[in-house]
Amino acid sequence: MSGMWRFLKKPEGPALAFMVSGMLWFIIGTLYGLVSAIDLVAPDFFANIAPLVFGRGRPTHVNTVLYGFVTEVLVGCGLYYVPALLRTKLWSPPAAWLSWLLWNITVLSGPICFAGGHTQGREYTEYIWAFDVTFTLAIVLLAVNIVMTIANRRENSLYVSVWYFTGMLLWTAGSYPIGNVMWHPSTGAVAGILDTVILWFYGHNLPGLVLTPLAVGAAYYVMPRIAQAPLWSHTLSLVGFWTLVALYTHIGGHHVPQGPIPNWLKAMSTIDSMAMVIPVFVALGNLWLSIRGRGGKLLADPAGRFVLAGTVWYLITCVQGPIQSLPAVQRVTHFNNWVIGHSHIAILGFAGYIALGAMWHILPLLSGRELYSRRLVNLQFGLITFGLVGFFMVLTTAGLIQGGAWNNGQTIYRVLPEIAPYMFLRAVMGVLIIAAAFVGFYNLWMTLRRGRVIEPELREEALS
Amino acid sequence: MKVTPALLVIGALLTFWASMAIMVLLPAATMHPAPSSTWRPWSSEEEAGNTLYVQNGCSYCHSRYIRTNDWDLGAERLAEPGDYVAQEPSILGTERTGPDLSQAGGEHPDDWHLAHFTNPRYTRPQSLMPAWKFLGESDIRLLTAYVQAQGGRDADTRISRQQRWRTPAQEAYARGPDKNIEWLHDQVPHGWLAMPNPYPPLPADLARGEKVYQDQCAGCHGPIGDGQGLAAPYLNPVPLNFTLLRRHLTDGRYLGGMLYYQIMNGITGTAMPYFKRDLESEKIWDVSNYVAVYFVGYTDATMEPRGIGAAYEPAWTNPYTPPQTQPAAASQPAAAPARTEPR
Repeated sequence: MSGMWRFLKKPEGPALAFMVSGMLWFIIGTLYGLVSAIDLVAPDFFANIAPLVFGRGRPTHVNTVLYGFVTEVLVGCGLYYVPALLRTKLWSPPAAWLSWLLWNITVLSGPICFAGGHTQGREYTEYIWAFDVTFTLAIVLLAVNIVMTIANRRENSLYVSVWYFTGMLLWTAGSYPIGNVMWHPSTGAVAGILDTVILWFYGHNLPGLVLTPLAVGAAYYVMPRIAQAPLWSHTLSLVGFWTLVALYTHIGGHHVPQGPIPNWLKAMSTIDSMAMVIPVFVALGNLWLSIRGRGGKLLADPAGRFVLAGTVWYLITCVQGPIQSLPAVQRVTHFNNWVIGHSHIAILGFAGYIALGAMWHILPLLSGRELYSRRLVNLQFGLITFGLVGFFMVLTTAGLIQGGAWNNGQTIYRVLPEIAPYMFLRAVMGVLIIAAAFVGFYNLWMTLRRGRVIEPELREEALS
Repeated sequence: MKVTPALLVIGALLTFWASMAIMVLLPAATMHPAPSSTWRPWSSEEEAGNTLYVQNGCSYCHSRYIRTNDWDLGAERLAEPGDYVAQEPSILGTERTGPDLSQAGGEHPDDWHLAHFTNPRYTRPQSLMPAWKFLGESDIRLLTAYVQAQGGRDADTRISRQQRWRTPAQEAYARGPDKNIEWLHDQVPHGWLAMPNPYPPLPADLARGEKVYQDQCAGCHGPIGDGQGLAAPYLNPVPLNFTLLRRHLTDGRYLGGMLYYQIMNGITGTAMPYFKRDLESEKIWDVSNYVAVYFVGYTDATMEPRGIGAAYEPAWTNPYTPPQTQPAAASQPAAAPARTEPR
């Protein structure tokens, strides 16, 4: 029993646990994605296998990669870099373990509950009430843990990564219960059109206040370290951080374009969507100027390459996002595969790449072992990059075909055969991403089991 | 500016909750739309159908609001905030892999939905929707009730029209194949009945007609036009066997206009939907010629009466003679006047 307690009190334990479970969810989540992709190629392939029909498999895919893979890996990174940046230890590793447990119970409820149709059905808020509770508890516990860690810091100034990680927890502790309408346990929704407003307030807070702060915070930690350069501007960090929370929280209405919500909400969400270029360009400018002249160091480092590429995906996502929030553009791009392409470069491209890169960078610091194989990290990078670039191009093309045809009077049934080849190609590209998930988990596992042990003095040096 | 722990925590929380007040509380305080003119409450069956709709993720492929630039199913009415009063949850959807459902009520009769939910490809060979057979017939009936409620009072009007014509259609079918076709013909305006297909069935036209037929029609009428498609066992009245039309030509020779009208307009009360949104005019004439040539073995294409031929029309002589019909065969002319010159 005391041995168990000693294990739970090890400071690196929860961070590693979040990474390992996150990488496992990467495999499971993308396998569900493949099932859903096959459903759209050959709808009778899994005929009458209830858990795998599109309407049940898709939410399992989405929630598992979102809350399971990307977010868990990034939280694992944060649980390492926040104490490290504050020159202290995590306030309570056992409490972080409890958060890990509650968090994974929530994610596990997805494949189990959705298979039987136990879902609240609103996009990104599908987990049923009991697991909204476990998730909220996990977030609140983590928030307390991090705030207490800050209180016990030995480094006086708070680095920008700490702001983002702390902000994410504080915001999500409010955003998640509101978005999930937790005061209506049976439906997780309010009645009428107002529900759409609340749902998309949360729907865009999810990338905005969960994924973006986690990923940008991790990039702020990893990129200057690998480049061995100081942060370019403290002021830009401030501008990026505060405009992120001030603007991102206003743009959910752009998910219901030309829909029956009030015009002032649509106008506000479009204008603030355009204004999102401020936090995005400020953060990217600050990061890229910090590594100016030293990009080669990031490219040469397997982990750095992932993070650098993640910032490029961030740029593409966040140029595309504001543009597609314009009503004239949305008439063509909404309701079709264009949006699916966009969401994949946001979650797998931007947040997923940075999650993987930060994890590969932090893993040796955390475990005291060198990466089992840098070549496997590079292989994973190649597989994901080929898969995701293809995926994005295929879905964007399919979306333009659909949107253009509909806008000119074609019916859904007439356009479905036109996108059939793209649905096939999407499934093929998805296989590459799944392969990358397997390669990544193998490499992570082998690093923890077989990675060459780093000499303690070298490790101290790396940590300082 | 130095970011202290207090500034970080208090500032982050204040900014977020201020935004929440603007984007959630303000709408909650101001959005109280009155029920729209078509709104009505859901019955307990329709509520149960909504629950199934949510549980099975239907909203990942179907939206429930119509925009100004929409043309497809339901585009006759723009969505209003008052359409969703008291519905909880009322998921509007973000994708259209399938059609918008906000006005789907009454578009099809219940038996069409039973076949479509059992396996969507039975009725629409190109559908990507999963087969819902595993839910069982009682759940499919609840889902059907939900779909039929989409559109509120407008849907109720469409349903009552479906029901108004269902009984005579079933009675006509019960009177036997010939009486059935006579009844069907009686529902087509006479001008259309006595109208030949104005376009010649050249090989290219027939190839296009075949594609349209096999993509859109074969599910119910069967790949060979005998009315024995995969959906047929679910439908009442059953789909038409086209070969029977051979002895039911109008004035002993016409069927093109009748086919066009029924394909364009559908037959309310039966499972036959309208195709005026899916198919442009030429495609309907092509598929009419395909049905006539391949399943009836005869087409009235380019026969009199006709107006000035379309500019692009090639010269073509109709080689078909109207089939001998009994018992009125003797009174029919032996052969239709074959046209040799395009006009």
